[in-house]
Parts: sequence; C-alpha cells; structure tokens
Amino acid sequence: MNARAAFALLGAVLLALFVVGEVRRRAGPSAAGRRFFRHPPAAWGMFILTFFVAVALAAPWVAPYGPSITLEIVALKNQPPSLLHPLGTDLYSRDVWSRLVYGSRVSLSIGALAMLVAVTVGAVVGAVAGYVRRWVDTALMRLVDVGLAVPRIFLLLMAIALWEHLPLALLVLLIGLTGWFGTSRLVRAEVLTLRERDFVAAARAAGAGGPRIIFRHVLPNVAAPIIVSAALGIGNVMLLEAGLSFLGLGVPPPMPSWGNMIADGAAQLATAPWTTVFPGVAIALVVMALNAVGDALRDAFDPRRATA
Amino acid sequence: MLTPRPHGGHLRPWTALGALLLCAALAGCSRRGGCTGEYCGTLVFASVGEPEGLLPPVAQSSVARDVSDQMFLKLADLGPSANTIGDEDFTPLLAERWEWDDPLTLVFHLDPRARWQDGRRVSAADVVFTYDAYNDPRVNSPFRTGLRWISAVTSRDSLTAVFRFRQRYPEMFYDAVYQMRILPGHLLRNIPRDQWQSTAFGRAPVGDGPYRFAAWKAGESLELVADSTCFLGRPHIRRLIWRFTPDLQVAVTQMVAGEADAVPQLVSPDNIERVQGTPHLATYPYKGSAYGYVGFNLNAPGDSTKPHPLFADREVRRALAMAIDRQRLAKSVFGDHAKVPPGPMSQLWWIWDPETRELPYDTAQAKRLLTARGWFDSDSDGVRDRAGTKFSFRLLVPTTSAVRRQYARLLQEELRRLGVEVLIDEVEFSVFMERANAGRFDALIQVWNTDPTPSSGISQTWTQSGIGRSNYLRYASPAFDRLVEQASASFDRAQARRTWRAAIEVLNQDAPAVFLFAPENVAAIHRRVADVTIRPDSWWALLRTWRIPPDRFIDRDRVER
Amino acid sequence: MAAWLVRRVAASGAIVFAVVTFTFLLLHLAPGEPFLPSGDTPVDPAVVTELRRQFGLDAPLPVQYAKYLVALAHGRLGESFALHRPVAAALADAIPNTLALAGAALALDLLLGLALGVYQAAHARRLPDVGLGYATLFLNSVPTFWLGLLLLLVFAEWLGWFPVGGVVDPVVHASLPWAGRAADRLWHLALPALTLGCVGAAGTARYQRAAVLEVVGQDYVRTARAKGLPERRVLLVHTLRNALLPLVTLFGLSFPFLLTGAVLVESVFAWPGMGKLAADAIFRRDYPIVLAAAIAASVMVVLGNLLADVLYAVADPRIRVHDQ
Repeated sequence: MNARAAFALLGAVLLALFVVGEVRRRAGPSAAGRRFFRHPPAAWGMFILTFFVAVALAAPWVAPYGPSITLEIVALKNQPPSLLHPLGTDLYSRDVWSRLVYGSRVSLSIGALAMLVAVTVGAVVGAVAGYVRRWVDTALMRLVDVGLAVPRIFLLLMAIALWEHLPLALLVLLIGLTGWFGTSRLVRAEVLTLRERDFVAAARAAGAGGPRIIFRHVLPNVAAPIIVSAALGIGNVMLLEAGLSFLGLGVPPPMPSWGNMIADGAAQLATAPWTTVFPGVAIALVVMALNAVGDALRDAFDPRRATA
Repeated sequence: MLTPRPHGGHLRPWTALGALLLCAALAGCSRRGGCTGEYCGTLVFASVGEPEGLLPPVAQSSVARDVSDQMFLKLADLGPSANTIGDEDFTPLLAERWEWDDPLTLVFHLDPRARWQDGRRVSAADVVFTYDAYNDPRVNSPFRTGLRWISAVTSRDSLTAVFRFRQRYPEMFYDAVYQMRILPGHLLRNIPRDQWQSTAFGRAPVGDGPYRFAAWKAGESLELVADSTCFLGRPHIRRLIWRFTPDLQVAVTQMVAGEADAVPQLVSPDNIERVQGTPHLATYPYKGSAYGYVGFNLNAPGDSTKPHPLFADREVRRALAMAIDRQRLAKSVFGDHAKVPPGPMSQLWWIWDPETRELPYDTAQAKRLLTARGWFDSDSDGVRDRAGTKFSFRLLVPTTSAVRRQYARLLQEELRRLGVEVLIDEVEFSVFMERANAGRFDALIQVWNTDPTPSSGISQTWTQSGIGRSNYLRYASPAFDRLVEQASASFDRAQARRTWRAAIEVLNQDAPAVFLFAPENVAAIHRRVADVTIRPDSWWALLRTWRIPPDRFIDRDRVER
Repeated sequence: MAAWLVRRVAASGAIVFAVVTFTFLLLHLAPGEPFLPSGDTPVDPAVVTELRRQFGLDAPLPVQYAKYLVALAHGRLGESFALHRPVAAALADAIPNTLALAGAALALDLLLGLALGVYQAAHARRLPDVGLGYATLFLNSVPTFWLGLLLLLVFAEWLGWFPVGGVVDPVVHASLPWAGRAADRLWHLALPALTLGCVGAAGTARYQRAAVLEVVGQDYVRTARAKGLPERRVLLVHTLRNALLPLVTLFGLSFPFLLTGAVLVESVFAWPGMGKLAADAIFRRDYPIVLAAAIAASVMVVLGNLLADVLYAVADPRIRVHDQ
C-alpha cells in the first residue's frame, strides 16, 4: 500500500459519509425518509454501497498495483497480509487488495447490468400479462412457471455450455435472462390491481392505446416493488456469479471478479486463507448492504407495511 | 410490545430420550478388542473421482486401475528398475516362468497355485480368452492398440500359453504382459461382448489377486478385503477402502483430519506443505510419469490445409521458446517438486538425458529473432505487429487443471514482456478435448500421463502417425520420425539412448512445443504403515507387501468386517 | 376443487415436458464431446466413434429425440455415458442423499428461523433483536459455498468436531448397531445441513420477525390479551397461525433454491446428491443423466408448488374461490 492509495481510500470513505449525510438531510424529514432511516442497517447499507461504488470508480488511484500484475513469482507467492500488501498476495503473486478493488468494478457492474436486464424483461412481461390478460397472460405465465421450474444454476450451466468462448457481455445477458421470472409475477400482481383504477379508465376514455397505457401510466406506479426487487436481485446475481466462478465458469481470466478470486483461492484455504476470505467478506458486505437498503426501501414505499 | 414469557419447563422427557439414544449409539461405537495380530489393518485411500467400472479391459481411469489391479493379476509385472526392454527385469506373477521357443514365439508357464476367488484354477484358456476379449472391437478396449504386434495367443495345455508375434522388436515381452489383466473366462464367457462396458460383473468382480471385492456404495466408497488364500502370499493389510472425493483439496483435508490414510499425488506445493506439517502423515516422493508442455498449432485453427499465421514460422516458435524462463515457472508452480524436461518425457523414462541440447533461455536473442522476422511494435501499444496484424494468440486450457491454469497466467505475463499478447481460453474439459482433437486452437497446454516406455508415447504424440490421434499440433518431421523408429527398434539400450537423444534434439530445434515441467510425484501415507514401496508407473502395485505393525494400530485397524 | 386439481396436474405435466424438450435441445446444441476420457492418456479415435455409434449419437437429432421420448414413455431412462450404469440406478443412489440434505436443511431453516423470528419480535428493538438482526443479515448475504468452505475448515479440520465430508464413515458404518448408524449419518449430515439451513434460517427469521410484529399489533390479539390469556398462549396460538400461512408458500418455493444452493454445497462437502450428479454430467456431456436430472428437478419443483398451493387452499378458504 502506498501513500497515494491510502489517501484515495480515505477519500472514498469521506465521500461515502458525505453522501449518506446529504441524503439523510434532504430526504430524512419526509414521511418515506423517516420510515427508511428508522432501520439502523439502512444507513450503514447506504454507506457501504457508496463506499464500494466510489472505490470501484477510483480504482486506478485506490489500488497500488494493476489487477493482473504478477510480482516476483517465486518469493511473493501466497504471502500473508503485511504493510506493503495489506490483504496479502495470491497464488500468482498478485496483490489481493488491488484485485479486490478492480474486482469490485466487475462484480458490481455484472450485478447491476444483469439485474437491469432481468428487471426490464420481467417488468415488461409482467405488465403486458397483467394488463392484456386472456390467452397472452396464460401463455406468459406458463412460460414463467417453466422458467421457475428449472433451478437457475442448471439453466445457466447448460446455457453457458452452448458457447465455447463466452464473452463477458453475453454472460451478463444470460444471467439476466434467467432471473426475470420472479419480477414478472410481482409486476403482474400489481398491474392486476392497478388496471381497475380510475386513472387507467380515464386514460382509456381519453383514447390512449394499450401499450401507451402500460408504459406511461401503469408501470410508473409499479416502480416501488420493482426497485425493491432490483436491490435484492443485485445481491442474488453477485452470489450467483461467485457460484459460477467456483464451478469454473464465470468471468474469464485474468480479469478479477470477487467470485473468481474465491474460486482461485479455495484450493489454498488451509495455507493461505486470506485469498478466499477477503473476497467473500466483500461480497457479504455488499449483499448485506443491498438487503438492508432493499428492506428499508420496501418499508419506505409502503406505509401499510410499517413494522414496529 | 410483548412482555417476556416466564420460563416453562417441560423439557425432561426430551433430554431423557436424547440421552438414551446417545448411549445406544456410543455403545456401538466404542467397541474395543476386535482384530489383533499381523493380518489386521484398514487402509483408507482418499481418491479424486470414482471408478466407472472395475472390469479391466474397459476400466481406464487411474482410480479404476488402482482398484482393479488389486483384484486382477497380469502374467508378469515390471521390476523395480522399470526397464521395459527384453524380459530379464520383469517379476513373475501369474506366470512362474517363461521362455522363447524362437525369436517370435513366447511361452508362459502359469503358476499351478493360482486360483480364481471362486475356487477355480487359473488356466491358459483364461489367457486365450483375455487376449480375445481385449482385441474384440465390440469390447472397444482402449488398450487394444498396445496388442497390435501380437498375431495370436494359444494354449498348449492347461498351464501353458503361447504368444506369437508379427515381428521382432525390443519390447515384445512388455507388450505381451503389461496391458492385459487376465480375466476369468468361465465367468465372462456368457456375457455379450458389447455389454461389457456396463455389465454387473464390472461392479462386483471376481478376480485372482491378493484382494477380493467386498462392497461398493456408489458416490461414497468402495471396499476390498484381503484374500488369505492368495498364492502370492497373504496380504498383511486386511481391508482397503477407497473414499471418493470431488477434488484433491477435500482429499487432503480428510487425510489431515485423520479420516483417510493415503493419497497418491499431492500435486501442489501447498498440499505438500500441509501434509509435512501434519505429524501423523509421511511423504513419499517418487518419479512422476507425467510431463506438460505448451504446444503451438502448426496449422490454421480449424483448417489443417493452411499453415498457422503465426506459428508456421519456425524462427517465431524458437523465439517464443527462448523467451520462457522454464526453471522459474516450474519453481513457482511446483516448488522443488518438478524438473524441466529436456524433451517430451516424464521423470520415469530412462531416455532422460540432461546433456540433451535444448534452446537456451535468452530473452535478448528472442527479441532479436522476432524483430528479424518482421514483428516489432510499430504503434507503441506494447504488442508487436507486422503488416497490420497484432502478434496475439489464444492459449487453450481446461478449467479442471489448476496447474495448467496457473501456467497459462504465468506464460501470459512472460510473453507480455516480449511484446506478445496472450489471451487465455479457459474452457470446460469436454470442450477442451473436442477443440484439441479438431485443431481449433492457436496454442494449448497439454499434460500427458505416460506409460513406462517412450516408444508408444512419443510416436503417438509427436510423429506423423499420430496426426489425427494425439498429435494435436500436427507436427511432421521425417527426420524425427526416422530417428524415433530407429530408437524404438534398437535392442542395445545404450545405443537406443543415444538415438533417442538425437531425435529429441531434432524436436527441440524445431520447437513445435516448449516442454515446461515433468513433476515428481509426492504421495502421502499415514506414518503407521511400514514397508511402503511405491512403483512409479503403478502406485499401489506392491500394496500386498505393506504392513501395519500391531503396536501402531489405531481404531480403524481393529475393526472387523 | 377437483377440477382445479386436475387442471393444475395437467399443467404441471406440460411444464415438465417443456423442460425436457428444452434441455434436450440445449444439450445437443452445445459443443463438447461426451466420450473422451481423462484427457491425459492418448485416445484412439476408433474407440470414440464406436462408442458414439453404440449410444445412438450418430443419428439425426429429431430421430434421437423421438427415440428418447419413446424410451421415456416405457419408463426407460437410458444408460449413463460416463458412469457405465443405468441412469435410474444412479438417480436412485443420488436422490435420497439430496432429499436427506434438503429435508434437514429445510427443517433447520423453518424451526430455527421461526424460533429466531419470534424471539426477535418478542424483544423487538432491544439488544438481542438488534444483534440477531445483524447476524441474520450477514448469514443471508454470504455465498453458501464460501460459508461451507469456512465451516469445513474450522469445525472439521481445525477443531475436528465434525467429519470432513461424506455421507457415512466407510470404515465402521456397516458394523454399527442401528442407533450408531443413525448417529453416524446425522453426524455427517450436520455440517452441510447447517450451511444450507443457517442461510435459509436467516432469511426466514427476518421474514417471520416482520410478519409476527405486523400481526401482533392487530385487534384480535389485543382482545385476546384483554381477555386475560397468558402471554405465551396469545403468541403461539393466535399470532403464529396467521404467520404460518406465508411459511407454507415459502416451503413450496424453497425447493428450487435448495437444489441450486445444493450443487455448490454438495461439491464442498463431497455429498453425492443429485446436484453434484447433474453438474458433473453437464461438464462431461453425459446426456442421459442431465435429461433425467432435469426431469427429476422439474417434477420436484412443480410438486412442491402444487403442494404449497393445495395447503394454502385448504388452510385459507378465501383463496379457493379466487383461482382462475
């Protein structure tokens, strides 16, 4: 760890604290904001998320080495944490902290993008099914049932097997395309209740067509449960990516992701545990933060569900 | 808000039941006494993977061979010197002696004491039956190619089997005895040959070896029990149990925790370090039978009619070979437990000659060579290029091999310093095999586990006869082929060695591959086991001579079946 | 009710059929050769060609599909390429292990989760609740296999309290009395079930805490308390019954997760269950096993859903009217 990296890290921490403070100041006083901040983990969650996003964005400053730089390959293999390498080195003599930082970019973006795909497809399918109903609804929901019937990881294993050489973008797309089924059910349920409401009838009376009603009037009102399921879904994607890497599929080398760092280090767990433990803790922290924020958002958006 | 509930207390019936169950369980567990004396002991092997079947002609995985070799005997086996030329260095097993009637006829006299485990005598008819089965295309045995020089096997009487060969060559005896495990004709005669892959006999075999089949729980464990009437001598260790684990990591953990006794290959220096730090385990290093290399496809990927844009150029290959610090890479991956081979050979092969001329490690010359061939970095992006194309290629490795993946990343870094861009393709194992066989790769890292003799291994992988089989690189050098043929046909070992060396030097100069490592194997075995001898080509071949002294028994040694 | 049940069963059957077809297509479109062995010994291409012919892989795809369906209709699942035994036998060995693991994990999940959730609700916003809240949040967020690796390292290797993987102790199991054998199995089941169960329990605890707190504030509970009923009775009888209903749906929906999470945990703990069998088969392109596993998995899932729906309908009469 050098001075520049330490300062950049400090900067990230301060930025995260600042952001949380600002949000608390502006959104706190409103009713939804009060419900949100009633959960102490929610503020922590926001802090952790902002911190990791800041670290990911500032990776070249926060990480003293590049992600694939192999240092002295014999002497520096599997070294325990020290001042120079705060999280130790791994099997290929690479600095774990640097890889963790660059890995945050990969893991967070995979999580966000895959979730984006899943939520978009799920919302559209659910909204269409819920609004149009009749045979379209039945057909789409049967498809959802089939999708939910096959365990997601098997579906992914078989889908990934189709390509000899899978580009990262395609991996993200596949993960997203296997995860929209739950969201579609959720959205459909909401739309079913919403479509009987007055504002929809008014829009129809004004001459708006089906798609216009769905996209401009119905979906914006379903935003709340979608956002909550998205927050929780990102965590699932990150855990799934870790599992895929453990099985040997996932982000191709030498690009680091938290998942393939755990996989690489698993064989050395007894002699060099830091290579596996730290990425796992990182994943746990981010998913914890997402869960906390997601739960708090759920309460914030829905006053009826407020708990003690 | 809820008020705390007062503690109710009706737990006593549950604790009583729990205690009762515990007592019953413990009463069964701590049974002392049991087996005593010289012929007790239970040895637990932690194996990676499970046998696909135990019938020798179709059992190919190393675990399957480990197990079936305890139950089925060969006519004769390699001696401690591992010399495969001639017949002086072989030890008799089922055949107590043999002689040559003429240069093409080999006569075996079976040991009259040999018995199948159901009581019947082992006869020459079994030997004839075995040869017929191994050769039968319906059995589809992968060992068939090793028998191609044998023209016929007949029986002269119930204890004499006669082998006739097509021509004379140095390893006739080796081919006759090494691949075939003699099968019980009377038990297998009625099973249709095309069902041998999946027949029930393969899951509960009857053999003639020192151990007898006891039980096989799919996915969990396999047990063999010593046959006290074995004519080779009663094995000291009474029970052999193989525990199946999904990977080496779990196997080593089981050993360290005291739940397993032996692992044949520790592979990585981390595992060796773990075992050496464990007081009840001892390590046994022995010569490894594998070697690994990074090979360059000499043809265009997927199209064997066109040359490879990068690697068809001999000077380019030589430059890459000179840019890799093989010693340092081997040290990083294996620690002190591997050597850099002078050619495509494992530590086991007698042709290993440290004087063999190889390309030196010389990065300066490598850079000069590449520049001379037109590859230099014209656009300052760190990667050499020529006429608009970057010097960039894809390196194929399977995800299942940690060693190859490690090497891939280290090679990527080494070659990056040369100005060459390497992209790693880590693919699933079955995809790796498919692409390697079809030639759809630029470069790959391959590891071969070799037989004790180079004559089959090298010709299958590096000569023209191997193209379409194991010669994935499609390397064809008539000079090399000639030398290999000459060396394989030589009866004089010293002269053969010189010829092999000349052949390897030709190969090294052409540099179709860079030979990276020939590991030494380190086995880990529980300290209480005495008289341990490990034969490098077949680890547990001499298991029947091991023993566990009664004063070193631990709990599992005393358990009777 | 009967008509609804028949329709649901028919729909479930259609779903399973769709899954099988989809899996078949994916498998045969994927690159990779099923019959190549370990890869580090030279292979004879004639051997591979013969194996392909023996298993019918040289026929055109629609023919293979039709043959498979016909065999399936007769109850024949085929023979595994890599294991050299009938698929039915391999599944019969693996499924009980998966059910044992899933059952133990679910039991732990529900019991521990319920207990924790109720306890947390009883001490809401005081120290035990806050502390347990963070603990459950953490457990719900870790990768299950990572947790398994750590538990294996700490409890099996360092402390030696539990065995390192496996289903039973191969050395002594056969010679133990029935109680000893049961104890042996439980002892081996403990760590993997704990890994899966704790993660699930954490999620259930969080959900139950919220559900109990929501119900507790309602009128009928205040009435019960006003009537003078003891606190424990109020809690157990009145609040739990309402909180139990979503638990039933959770049961039905947990099955897919257990199969998913189970693949990784089975690998870490050397547990020979269906997850590991299917994952290995996908990697080795062992088509018959993958297809059979897909069938088994989807059947289990639709049965779980069906069971959850039936229980829900039986328990809550309001639901029965609404189904379309």
